[in-house]
Amino acid sequence: MNRPLFFFIFLLLLPGLLLPTVFATGFTAEQIMERVDQTLSAAQDQEMRVKLVITDAKGNISQREMVMMQKGNDRRMVKFLAPPEQRGIAFLSLPGGLNYLYLPAYRQTRRIASHVRNQKFAGTDFTYEDMEARKYSVDWEAKLLGEEDGLYCLELIPKAKTNTDYGRLVVEVKADIFFPVKIEFFDKGNKPHKVMVQDKLEQINGYWVAREAEMKDLQAGTSSQMFFTEVKFDSGLADEIFTERYLAR
Amino acid sequence: MSKLAAQIIRKSRLVIVLVALITLFMGFSLRSLKINPDVLSYFPKNDPEIKLFKYLGEEYGGNSLAMIVLATEDIFNRETIATVHELTNRLRLDPGVAYVTSLTNTLDIRSDEYGFEIGRLVNEGNLPREPEELAKLKAYTLSKEMFRGNLVAEDATATLIICRLQNGEDQVETCRRLQEIVAEIGPVEEIYYGGIPFMILDLHHMITADLKILIPMVSLIIILFLYLAFQKWEGVFLPLLSVVISLIWTLGIMSLLQIELSIVSNVIPVVLIAVGSAYSIHVFSKFTEVDTEQRPFPARVHGLATAMQEVGTPVFLAALTTIAGFLSFIFGSYLVMIREFGIFAALGVLFALITAFTLVPAVFALKKGGSAPTDTTYKKGKTENTGLTSRLCTALERLVITRPKTILWVSILLTLIGLAGIPQISRRVDLIEYFQPQSLIRQAETILQEKFGGSGLIQILVEGDIQDPAVLQEMEKMEAFLLAQDDVHRTQSLVSLLKELNDVMGEGRALPDTRGKVTNLWFLLEGEEIMGQLVNPSRTEAVIQAMMEGSLETKRVHELVTSINEYIAGVDSELVTFHQTGMPTIYRNLDQSIISSQFQSLTLAVLLVFIVMLYMLRSLAGGLRGLIPIGFTLVLIFGFMGLSKIPLDIATVLVAGVSIGIGIDYSIHFLGRYHRELTKNQSVKSAVQTTISTTGQAILVNLLTVAFGFVVLIFSQLVPLQRFGILVAVTMFSSGFGALLLLPSILLLSSTGLKLRPHRSLEKNKNASLDG
Repeated sequence: MNRPLFFFIFLLLLPGLLLPTVFATGFTAEQIMERVDQTLSAAQDQEMRVKLVITDAKGNISQREMVMMQKGNDRRMVKFLAPPEQRGIAFLSLPGGLNYLYLPAYRQTRRIASHVRNQKFAGTDFTYEDMEARKYSVDWEAKLLGEEDGLYCLELIPKAKTNTDYGRLVVEVKADIFFPVKIEFFDKGNKPHKVMVQDKLEQINGYWVAREAEMKDLQAGTSSQMFFTEVKFDSGLADEIFTERYLAR
Repeated sequence: MSKLAAQIIRKSRLVIVLVALITLFMGFSLRSLKINPDVLSYFPKNDPEIKLFKYLGEEYGGNSLAMIVLATEDIFNRETIATVHELTNRLRLDPGVAYVTSLTNTLDIRSDEYGFEIGRLVNEGNLPREPEELAKLKAYTLSKEMFRGNLVAEDATATLIICRLQNGEDQVETCRRLQEIVAEIGPVEEIYYGGIPFMILDLHHMITADLKILIPMVSLIIILFLYLAFQKWEGVFLPLLSVVISLIWTLGIMSLLQIELSIVSNVIPVVLIAVGSAYSIHVFSKFTEVDTEQRPFPARVHGLATAMQEVGTPVFLAALTTIAGFLSFIFGSYLVMIREFGIFAALGVLFALITAFTLVPAVFALKKGGSAPTDTTYKKGKTENTGLTSRLCTALERLVITRPKTILWVSILLTLIGLAGIPQISRRVDLIEYFQPQSLIRQAETILQEKFGGSGLIQILVEGDIQDPAVLQEMEKMEAFLLAQDDVHRTQSLVSLLKELNDVMGEGRALPDTRGKVTNLWFLLEGEEIMGQLVNPSRTEAVIQAMMEGSLETKRVHELVTSINEYIAGVDSELVTFHQTGMPTIYRNLDQSIISSQFQSLTLAVLLVFIVMLYMLRSLAGGLRGLIPIGFTLVLIFGFMGLSKIPLDIATVLVAGVSIGIGIDYSIHFLGRYHRELTKNQSVKSAVQTTISTTGQAILVNLLTVAFGFVVLIFSQLVPLQRFGILVAVTMFSSGFGALLLLPSILLLSSTGLKLRPHRSLEKNKNASLDG
């Protein structure tokens, strides 16, 4: 049940609500994170092409391409386009933890379980946890470390009930649009583990989105880049896309 | 020689200052001497199997497996699972660790009503706590081949945490840190550390402890024997000083050249102290022999210089043969560490010789000339001497004169017994042999063997199109073949993962039958940590791994390697090729190298010694006869090894070379003196008598010193070194027997005695040449 939550990544990485561009001052740490959560949670629907470039510790590069479609907050369909031998592999994620995988060579759909959070998603440096559509303001205790060059710098400590692999996060939020541009992940031994940077911010259909995201695993020496193209918001994706039947199409 | 000696004696102060300066410098550089007990690092870099082993280590996440066993009544209890979880997470953060595999992070593929899952066996976010959960986990884990006998013992009394160590990191340091991490967490379970890296860590401890204990012990023994022999403190002080200085020089040079002390070369101090003292003993005893009266300075210088000349040649030749014995390891040896031992032991002997020829005369010259007549010095004739060794010599002398035939028969009998023992020599090369039976690491190996099928890694490199189902099928067959071997367990490769996934996809526990299916399943595995240990990124290579019992007899190791290689040779090489490496291959190479080392170094040493004998005796028959004691000794040692079940291993392989080097000295000294006595127109009988009572005594002192010096190695924590010590002691006694009893008996029994054409340097009276 491994690969399941992977769709949630896009919530974190990609799209965002257009928020008042008023430069905000005087926010508390919690307020800032609530605004970030709002920014990141959902347009009506979204569709985009994603190119994944994965670099291993020795510098070997592998690439992958997929189409990602999302409706609301909890329905997602991902279809792989490349490399050729993986073309047609598809994932569907539905509300209630229902996740399905389609393997074209077997012409079979299998339900996959989904509770392993600290594993790498599709060979990238993103774990399922990183990709979850979690609400920062709910799971983390935020502390404002400073504000400089139009960036809020916050430290996030997991709340007691929060299930996470990390000991602490340091997040930089672009103050004018409440968009997180950099997250440093520290492990439970408080050693720097990973760094994620979101770049090429752009406004599409009024929503802020990063066209590039990179995650570096500082301990393993690997990195993963994601490039987002053909980004569309609110294009009215049909409900039938998010069905088991559509997986095999 | 006499000119040089006279110079040294005249400029004694300068010599002493020079020696002191060099010693200070070397002593200073000594501080950076390092210990490296990793046997693998001493294999020649161009050995294809070692290359392959290193390659796999670098490309597939390390092949040094540090294994930590947690043992308790039933490991499926809340605390143990939590401990394994905590250990796993802490250990994998260590920079020296590439991967950790344990019960709490191992990959598991399962399928149930909620769908299929490629995940972890244990949910890390929600460790099982309740008895029902634990019982369920136990039943499930033990039901799966992937875990049973791999990560959990079949009886659930032990679980294994495997740390793959990063290639290129200091593994001794890493292991030390791993133990610290475990100690910090302080598990209540019994903890065992096994596998090669932990063995090497223990060897490191043991070598350090050995150096601290053995050097003082062997020094003490030598002091004791020297005092017993000479009954004067000078006689103790000078040889010991000479040998300590040569030791400092040798280790100082090793340190300057950044050569690390290995599990073999750590014996150099003991060898040098035991062997190197002989030269100064001979020089010193000769000096005390001649320097008995008060004489004016020039006459005294002349007297000492003459003594130096007399004793110089045999001492020089003796050192030369010892050096030859050690150097014989350079050419015959496959293992770098044996070569290093040869080079530096030889260098140490050279330094001991140099100090015996410079420092000893220089210090001696500083004394006021002439010893008091009451001093019982070592060569004042048997009647005056009441020392232990002199009484022994008298007994030996009587025995040789009255019973030469009996001695000969006894020797023949001993030789026959020795010959009978030789075929029974066994060979051991595995590292576990280094540890005492009661040691913790042995206990760990026993548990690893009983519960987890061993700790010796076998690796097969697969070359081919790994996503081709036909290639995968060949891999599956290869694994089945490995598992069919008696001492091989726990295979691991892509095959079992793909089979599990194929099962989940509804096509049964078999390999996928099309390439498309393989690549689809591959997608699910990509990014899993374990993939980096099983296949390369371009999918042209894969690794099959298996575990072998850690302490197999060498013969069995050979069979295993051979049968695997035979199997590999029968595989269709158009499709796929296999290459074998890992511990059995390494052990086999080690064993072959030990045998060929033994053969080559023996041949070379005997040859070198023969040349020295020829040079010294100027007679073919004499040279051959001079080899008799050494031949006798060799038969006796190897026979002893066979009969006492001491195997030929990395350390005992050195014994033959060392014994030739040291043992032949006795014959050289004996024949040298005998020859000089003979040229003084003595009869064979009286020449033999004089030789035994004079040189014989020096030989005896040396023999006892060396023998007991080496016996100290019994206190070594390293088993091969204990055996090495025992064997050298046996060697000393048998070459002493050869030189002091057998050789004179032969001389007496052969009608003419040993006909000698004297060598100029040995000749005191040129007119008295016997065969002239």
